[in-house]
Amino acid sequence: MIEVKNLVKVFEGRGKPVRAVDNVSTQVNKGEVVVIIGPSGSGKSTFLRCLNGLEAYDDGQVIIDGVDLGGSKTNINMVRREVGMVFQHFNLFPHKTVLENVTLAQRVVRKRKAAEADAKAMALLTKVGIAEKAHEYPSRLSGGQQQRVAIARALAMDPKVMLFDEPTSALDPEMVGEVLDVMQQLAREGMTMAVVTHEMGFAREVAHRVMFMDVGKVLEDAPPAAFFTAPKDPRAQTFLKQVL
Amino acid sequence: MPLKRPPAQWPWQALLAVILLSLAAGIWLATKQVNYEWRWERVPQYFFYQHEEVQSAPVVGAVQKVSPEGAYSKVEIAPQSGGQPVVVRVETDTLKVRAGDAVAEGADIGAERHWKIGPLTRGLWVTIWISFLSGFFGLLIGLVTGLCRLSPNPTLRGLAVLYIELIRGTPLLVQIFIFYFFIGTVLNLDRIVAGVGALALFVGAYTAEIIRAGIQSIAKGQSEAARSLGMTSTETMLHIVLPQALKRVLPPLAGQFISLIKDSSLVSVIAITDLTKSGREIITSSFATFEIWFTVALLYLAVTSLLSQLLFWLERRFARSD
Repeated sequence: MIEVKNLVKVFEGRGKPVRAVDNVSTQVNKGEVVVIIGPSGSGKSTFLRCLNGLEAYDDGQVIIDGVDLGGSKTNINMVRREVGMVFQHFNLFPHKTVLENVTLAQRVVRKRKAAEADAKAMALLTKVGIAEKAHEYPSRLSGGQQQRVAIARALAMDPKVMLFDEPTSALDPEMVGEVLDVMQQLAREGMTMAVVTHEMGFAREVAHRVMFMDVGKVLEDAPPAAFFTAPKDPRAQTFLKQVL
Repeated sequence: MPLKRPPAQWPWQALLAVILLSLAAGIWLATKQVNYEWRWERVPQYFFYQHEEVQSAPVVGAVQKVSPEGAYSKVEIAPQSGGQPVVVRVETDTLKVRAGDAVAEGADIGAERHWKIGPLTRGLWVTIWISFLSGFFGLLIGLVTGLCRLSPNPTLRGLAVLYIELIRGTPLLVQIFIFYFFIGTVLNLDRIVAGVGALALFVGAYTAEIIRAGIQSIAKGQSEAARSLGMTSTETMLHIVLPQALKRVLPPLAGQFISLIKDSSLVSVIAITDLTKSGREIITSSFATFEIWFTVALLYLAVTSLLSQLLFWLERRFARSD
């Protein structure tokens, strides 16, 4: 589903250029849940953002469902509607109600009729457990509720892949669970997912594979059972000792 | 005892009253000093006045009958040449003939009064619609220029910067002269078109900068979220960024349009009879210089405060989602 070959992303700062993603190759199969962990500044978020072209990469290839993102004939907007993304800071549209947040792209991008989009949105809002807030504005919702709306918004496009960029990092601790529950349910339903997170519990229980990144490189890529019990890379060992 | 005690308000309110009263007294004394005679009673006629239209006999003949009907009187004139009597209606208190009088054609029978709009009202109206038109076009120009200013295309960006700098770096009065005498002559423009055009271009440059700042103030995550859903950059701008940006810049935009109403007084230099020019014209005939200028100032104040109330109301309506 996702194929990454020799991906390189360089940030040209004022000092010397930083290779945020340094020659990463990997793939995510259909229905697979890959959790990407690593210390802050390790390039894991940048890597994730390259997967739907939000970050323009400098070298290598990203292929989503057979379509090369950098291909000369590729319309990036066509690829993005197949790739849902959930952000750390939710990024709901504050001037739209919850329902409008979920229907807007369906109508604008997928050209669905209002009734069809509304029905789809209400079904998804019910699924994430927030249907009763459909006509509220996002500012009236708690962080956990906003993030669940953001997940529903992404799902409304019927994506083939979902990308999660630290979806629980901006939440108060008591709200982390409700968001992780929704993600876990998605994983059980067979959604292909790439998740950047600091939630080790989620990685252990839900992930099929754990990728450990540092200084722009994938240093370890293993099933959670193996990774959490016997990490091979020394930096992964140190990292796990610090977070667990 | 509570730690925080509100300071007493009344001494300061009293001081404010004293200051305002002494200002009023100062103005009164100053006008006494220059022996100015206030004639406020001359002002209302420049808003509305009664025009007396003289009614004259349409034919040679004799007044057959005068029948009063309320404030009006119906005068029936039997033509000398015979035939049906001709009826003329005049105000009773202006009636100049009696039954039995012989009248020549064109003789003054009386007058009819009509309410007419005075020059101050007409000038105010001109000011309002000139400001409205140039504000509307200015907003359009500002929107397009603001977007061009942020465009990745260097040509569009360069043109936008050049336009903004040219307009913001020169006085409006000079721009109006250039627009009227140069562009207006070359393109054979009406003075109204030239005036509205100059004002719209002027306000457009400032609006562009306000809108640019508004767009840049919207968090990057908003457009990233929209783009991640597959929206194009145009769709993102239209549905996500612009609505939020416009809401945010409503207060500075309001200030800009209030300024525009005041700046529109400058078009009086190209002989557009707006409120300011009306005032100047009235003074040459009424000699009520102080009264007219005070009235003109109050009229501008009324329009601008009305607009700021309107925008305040709009702002509160838009604040629903905050």
